[in-house]
Amino acid sequence: MEMKEQKRHQQKHSGPKVEKKKLKRQGGSAEDDERKRNPKAFAVQSAVRMAKTFHRAQDIKTKKHHIPLVDRTPLEPPPVVIVVVGPPKVGKSTLIRCLIKNFTRQKLGDICGPVTVVSGKKRRLTFMECNNDINTMIDLAKVADLVLMLIDASFGFEMETFEFLNICQVHGFPRIMGVLTHLDSFKNNKTLRKTKKNLKHRFWTEVYQGAKLFYLSGMVYGEYQTQEVKNLGRFISVMKFRPLVWQTSHPYVLVDRMEDLTDPERFRTDPRCDRTVSLYGYLRGTHLKNKGQVHIPGVGDFEVADVNFLPDPCSLPDAQKKRALNEKERLLYAPMAGVGGVVYDKDAVYIDLPASHVKQQQEVRPTTELVQSLIDTHATVDAKMAASEVSLFSGSATLDPADIDEQKEEQAWDPNTQRNRRKVVFAEKEEGSDVSGSSDEDEDDESDDGDQEEDEDEDNLSTFLKEARAKSDTSKKNVREPPQVKKQKLEERKEEIPVFADSEDELEMSEEEGEAGRPGDSGNCSEESDDDEEAEDDNDENSEDEVEAADATVKKQSASEEEEEEEQGKYTVFGFISLQINFCSICIKRLHLYDSSLLMLILKLGYFPRHNHNSAEFILLFLSTGALKWKDGLQQKASEAFLRQQEADPNLRKLVYGPGIKFPDHYTHENGAGEEEELGGLFRVSRPQNSKKVQANAFDCSRFHPDTSHNWDLEEMLNSIRDCFVTGKWEEGQDAATLLKEDEELYGDFEDMETGEVHKGQTGENDDHDDEVEERLVKANDDEVQKKKRMEKKRRLKERFDAEYDDGDATYFDDLKEEMQKQAELNRAEFEDVDDGTRVQYEGFRPGMYVRLEIPSLPCEFVTNFDPHYPIILGGLSSSEGNIGYLQMRLKKHRWHNRILKTRDPLILSLGWRRFQTIPLYHIEDHNGRHRLLKYTPQHMHCGASIWGPVTPQGTGFLAVQSVAGTKANFRIAATGVILDLDKSVTVVKKLKLIGYPSKIFKNTCFVKGMFNTVLEVAKFEGASVRTVSGIRGQIKKALSTPPGAYRATFEDRLLMSDIVFLRSWYPVSVPQLYNPVTSLLLPVGQKDSWAGMRTLGQLKHDLGIRTKPNTDSLYKPVVRAQRRFNPLHIPKELQKALPFKSKPKQQQPKGKMPRDLQRPTVIREPQEKKVAALAAYQTQGVPAAEKKQEEAKLKRHKEARKKLYRVMGQMDQKRQRSSLKGAPQDD
Amino acid sequence: MGTHGLAYDGCNFFRQRLVLSTLSGKRVKIKNIRSKDDDPGLRDFEASFIRLLDKVTNGSRIEINQTGTVLFYQPGLLSGGPVEHDCNTQRSIGYYLEALLMLAPFMKTPLRATLKGVTNDPLDPTVDLLKSTALPLMKTFGIDGEGFDLKVVKRGMAPGGGGEVVFTCPVRRTIRPVQLTDPGKIKRIRGVAYSVRVSPQMANRLVESTRSILNKFIPDIYIYTDHMKGANSGKSPGFGLTLVAETLNGSFLSAEMSSTPQGQGGPILPEDLGRNCAKMLLEEVYRGGCVDSSNQSLALLLMTLGQQDVSKVLLGPLSPYTIEFLRHIKDFFQTMFKIEVQKPSEDERKGGDKVLMTCVGVGYSNINKTIK
Repeated sequence: MEMKEQKRHQQKHSGPKVEKKKLKRQGGSAEDDERKRNPKAFAVQSAVRMAKTFHRAQDIKTKKHHIPLVDRTPLEPPPVVIVVVGPPKVGKSTLIRCLIKNFTRQKLGDICGPVTVVSGKKRRLTFMECNNDINTMIDLAKVADLVLMLIDASFGFEMETFEFLNICQVHGFPRIMGVLTHLDSFKNNKTLRKTKKNLKHRFWTEVYQGAKLFYLSGMVYGEYQTQEVKNLGRFISVMKFRPLVWQTSHPYVLVDRMEDLTDPERFRTDPRCDRTVSLYGYLRGTHLKNKGQVHIPGVGDFEVADVNFLPDPCSLPDAQKKRALNEKERLLYAPMAGVGGVVYDKDAVYIDLPASHVKQQQEVRPTTELVQSLIDTHATVDAKMAASEVSLFSGSATLDPADIDEQKEEQAWDPNTQRNRRKVVFAEKEEGSDVSGSSDEDEDDESDDGDQEEDEDEDNLSTFLKEARAKSDTSKKNVREPPQVKKQKLEERKEEIPVFADSEDELEMSEEEGEAGRPGDSGNCSEESDDDEEAEDDNDENSEDEVEAADATVKKQSASEEEEEEEQGKYTVFGFISLQINFCSICIKRLHLYDSSLLMLILKLGYFPRHNHNSAEFILLFLSTGALKWKDGLQQKASEAFLRQQEADPNLRKLVYGPGIKFPDHYTHENGAGEEEELGGLFRVSRPQNSKKVQANAFDCSRFHPDTSHNWDLEEMLNSIRDCFVTGKWEEGQDAATLLKEDEELYGDFEDMETGEVHKGQTGENDDHDDEVEERLVKANDDEVQKKKRMEKKRRLKERFDAEYDDGDATYFDDLKEEMQKQAELNRAEFEDVDDGTRVQYEGFRPGMYVRLEIPSLPCEFVTNFDPHYPIILGGLSSSEGNIGYLQMRLKKHRWHNRILKTRDPLILSLGWRRFQTIPLYHIEDHNGRHRLLKYTPQHMHCGASIWGPVTPQGTGFLAVQSVAGTKANFRIAATGVILDLDKSVTVVKKLKLIGYPSKIFKNTCFVKGMFNTVLEVAKFEGASVRTVSGIRGQIKKALSTPPGAYRATFEDRLLMSDIVFLRSWYPVSVPQLYNPVTSLLLPVGQKDSWAGMRTLGQLKHDLGIRTKPNTDSLYKPVVRAQRRFNPLHIPKELQKALPFKSKPKQQQPKGKMPRDLQRPTVIREPQEKKVAALAAYQTQGVPAAEKKQEEAKLKRHKEARKKLYRVMGQMDQKRQRSSLKGAPQDD
Repeated sequence: MGTHGLAYDGCNFFRQRLVLSTLSGKRVKIKNIRSKDDDPGLRDFEASFIRLLDKVTNGSRIEINQTGTVLFYQPGLLSGGPVEHDCNTQRSIGYYLEALLMLAPFMKTPLRATLKGVTNDPLDPTVDLLKSTALPLMKTFGIDGEGFDLKVVKRGMAPGGGGEVVFTCPVRRTIRPVQLTDPGKIKRIRGVAYSVRVSPQMANRLVESTRSILNKFIPDIYIYTDHMKGANSGKSPGFGLTLVAETLNGSFLSAEMSSTPQGQGGPILPEDLGRNCAKMLLEEVYRGGCVDSSNQSLALLLMTLGQQDVSKVLLGPLSPYTIEFLRHIKDFFQTMFKIEVQKPSEDERKGGDKVLMTCVGVGYSNINKTIK
């Protein structure tokens, strides 16, 4: 059968239909059409309904809004923390291993500690396995960004899963992805499907509807299928995460490396001494400030001694335009895990990766080697002392990879020089350091001048530097020892020069460089001396000649110094000292040159209280010329300096924060020693202590008194602030003319109605012309300024445009969002161009950095019992979170926990970063705001709880467990809740009933005894309301003198002696001050899940076998009720008489036997007599009932009979009629 | 919990230390308070300040040694509520109020402080000055609303005192970051010329002389005369002037002067005082910035306590008090400010150098406030 070619549809190109269609297509939309066609259908039927729909739509719209937050995510975020959770034997380690293999092509054996991998160009992942210890689960839930929740499909959900979900809910909900494993154990496809579905829906109810559940179908050679793992990896690496409140407001580090830095000697002498430990990891959350406080969950609170950032050990690849990562960029960083059969040991980690990508190892080596060497030396102290090189290092600040890396050049330093340098430069310790270094300086300072000459030449700075470098290089080749000194010197100078240059940025740089050990300082003593040193090297012999030449320079120099010093005048004292030292050294130098008889004079000069430098200069002058030239123009110089100070741009940063970034000494380690420092063993530093003391106790006032008041009578002074007023000159972009012009540009032509004049807007040509003009101007003027101006103009135009068109329907929400956006941009931009060293000082260490935190005085168990399988978290605490106080919270017993909680039973809480045991008191708020103590938590209701614990911001969630030891079959989480309030006192009260007994009763007044013991007590309760058990209310009136404690009270009714009077009062309870951090990480390896704290009373009794003896009164007994007897009612005779007859008690007693004489004989009637009597009765009383009945019956009978008769007769009649109709009528 | 406190020497910047300690929760120990003095130890006004601090906090621990040369302060939580305090007359209420301004937004319940004592003296910022500068400044940080007010009920001049002010402040959970980089131009000048227990003409004479100078710059000047009588006039006679220059962008610069207290120093003519005060205002304008010199520390504190965002403020030259305050902020909150000097360009006639202060807030949240 052949196929018939069907005719194709031919589209019409003309005709009415086409017209219609065309109209439809281009003309008004279909909707519009419909509206036109059927206007009724679209008319407003009901205004109410319309309002409702509108409201609903708006509600839905607003519900979608979240409070806009400032986006504070760093540009290079830290690795995403992926926590793999699940019950034992579900395949956690296998999954991590597979994922790591997927991302890095490497196999990891034992997964311990966090494993960081680079998963893509923009993302790194840190995997962490979570075991089933509840401590670990709690800790990891707090730091997780993503949770991979493994579920054994062949078994179903286990308690651990739900526990973990609950922990997550409390501590902010990270992203959770379920992974079903063991799916290959299902043989039947249908059951598999069903199980999957069931599990999925249960999972959804726990997480959210539509949460991702991943299926890993089966294992191939002990690993999950590559394709599935790859898919999972893709999911992970594109996942977005929500910011969690706690995490974004606290810095934290998931530690991936730990080193013990304790001095081995201390360690040897006392193996249980506190350890100094450095911990490494990526900083997450928010900015971390140096010297802050951290909490290590499972260990406790610690002060951080030092923080520094290191080069990223697992850095993201450099920006490239390719899609995939190459082999070298697939980094793996897991110091705690044994990679490739390599050891993890207490102090160091060596990851031996086969390929070339072991970038991170280079910087680790030197330290670890050093530490290793220290630890490995089992030599005696003497031997160690002999090996002075090593001990020298240990005495100094610990070198860490960062230092080594940063100071790569500086590594060449001779330790000797290093010591000299560092100590000299510290501002506070300056004197001391100078002491040590002074002997050197003594020799060198002579040539001071020559160098300063160079220094002062700011313009040729760079060339000078080059020269100097070249010089030093050559000298390095020539000389054996000096070169090292020299190199360092040069660096010093590089840092120093900007001080003279007086420019901010460079200073910052110098600060930064100096930060490592020797921050730049204000008094230029050290630098000078060093420079001198060099100068001396260069021209040792001709220093004498040099003096002449130096005079001029020194003059300038000292002026600049003075200037600077004046700025700091009041606040800093080191300037003096340094200069003094400087001066002293100069003196000594001079001594070589000149007659020693000058010594006394010089010394006298040297101890001028102020203007030391001046005096130094004077001496120089004096020495050079041999005359007292210095005296002339003294005043002039001083005034000049003063003026200069007024106008000079002060280096404010230095002025405010001091030369080095130093921190105030904690009063735990006060500096008692080191006050008396000697200078070269000959001179004593005269610290201007008095001045400081005076300042310390000076007048405390915030007013800024103008010490340099300008003369406001002068016209030029007045002119200098002319532009601060609206009447003054405006900026070019803001003055009225410009604004007008802009308006014109924007709105173009308009017609003046009055004059009829027509104003034309500027045409495009004109614009072009303007542009050209502008361009020329740009070339002529500074590019930058013009650019800025244009940008400014553009911005303003845009603003105006927005106001015109966009902001019409802008809501508050939009404004808020925009504001946040702007803030975020500012945050990013503000410190963008500042180098990291300086930046961390301003904003702290930013998240994403790899940091090293040094923590002194950690308990030794932390190191000795270290187990990398347990996470170490450093949770940063804000300033007040280190304190402790009373916390009031809202708590609800978990519905799956099968017992209610008892007040005063210790409970382990997880709150903030911390886990601790505490004793809660439960209470509930009465209608009047009173917090009434409860003995037990309500079954299914919230209640309040008060604890003594660490200060944590309100709104923080917490969870409670009764014990963290071991795993139990039932649900471990006892309660959850949230912090409501922090205080230093509690307001919980319990009801207290004071009981008393009536001693005398007069009508409604009663004397009550036994409630109080003294008159004073009663006085306190005067006017209080009391009540009896029977419900009679009363009031305490006044105390009685005897017996003490008795009082008079009035009641609304008369009391009985048997009544009990009680007074209901409220007694404040105190919350027990127990705060016991759970130190699970300090327990020996393998027993970390066995932490046991304080036991509950019940447990104690159970353990000790104590049974409480109940109060016998409280025991239940069978109720025995005695028969009640009632006495007869007795009415007095008098009363009876007075009563009306009706109410008189009748003779109710049963009649006794009739007396014989009253008894009447019985009459026996004859039959005849009976009949007569009956008739008589009939006549008098009518027919008796029985007879009536008989009569009726008779009547009825008759009626029946008649009925029968008639019926028969009727029948006969009918018969007769019928027969007549049938046959011949016989008769009738 | 091993929080180490901070240790300081000497009684200078006493308020700063205690206020910052209260806000940060760090304890502080101040030693050698006038230890070398003939009259060692804390003065009455300092003791009074400590008592005030004790009233607004709950659970503070204050220990002072026998001679009063060592003070240990462990801060409690700020409770707020109605507080009444008799301020020592050695210092004016401004001394106490400056500290309260810093603490008030972080209380548990809104503060309503009634302070009695010297309202105006030549040493400290007076209540009028704080009212007209500090309050608008705090408003820019988001502390405003219904109950934000400072009312001078009675005026009491030094040395007798007898004045009374009521300061009410709502509580805030967080402080918002600010960018005060452009002060704008001064659009008006306002002021209060007050006189108590002297001729009411004094105030008028003050106004006259002040206008004579300021009229050269701007015509929009209005100086209120405030003559308090009877029970509201305190115990000592005196007069004074507070001037405030308001800019287009809502920043306030102020200057003030009071007559010398009765029995201390020679008398002063109201004309001289008015002129000098006007000149001081010009000096303040010369210094410039978005915050006037006596409120610098308040602005910097609120910036520090803001959310973890960049805040900027343009100040005039830093006063010594502010510089020490910056150091203290660093001690207590580990926050350092980026300090940039802005030099005026050649042709600008806008006074002296300005300082642009930039910092990242510590993300402070009011831990005292109860949530329901």
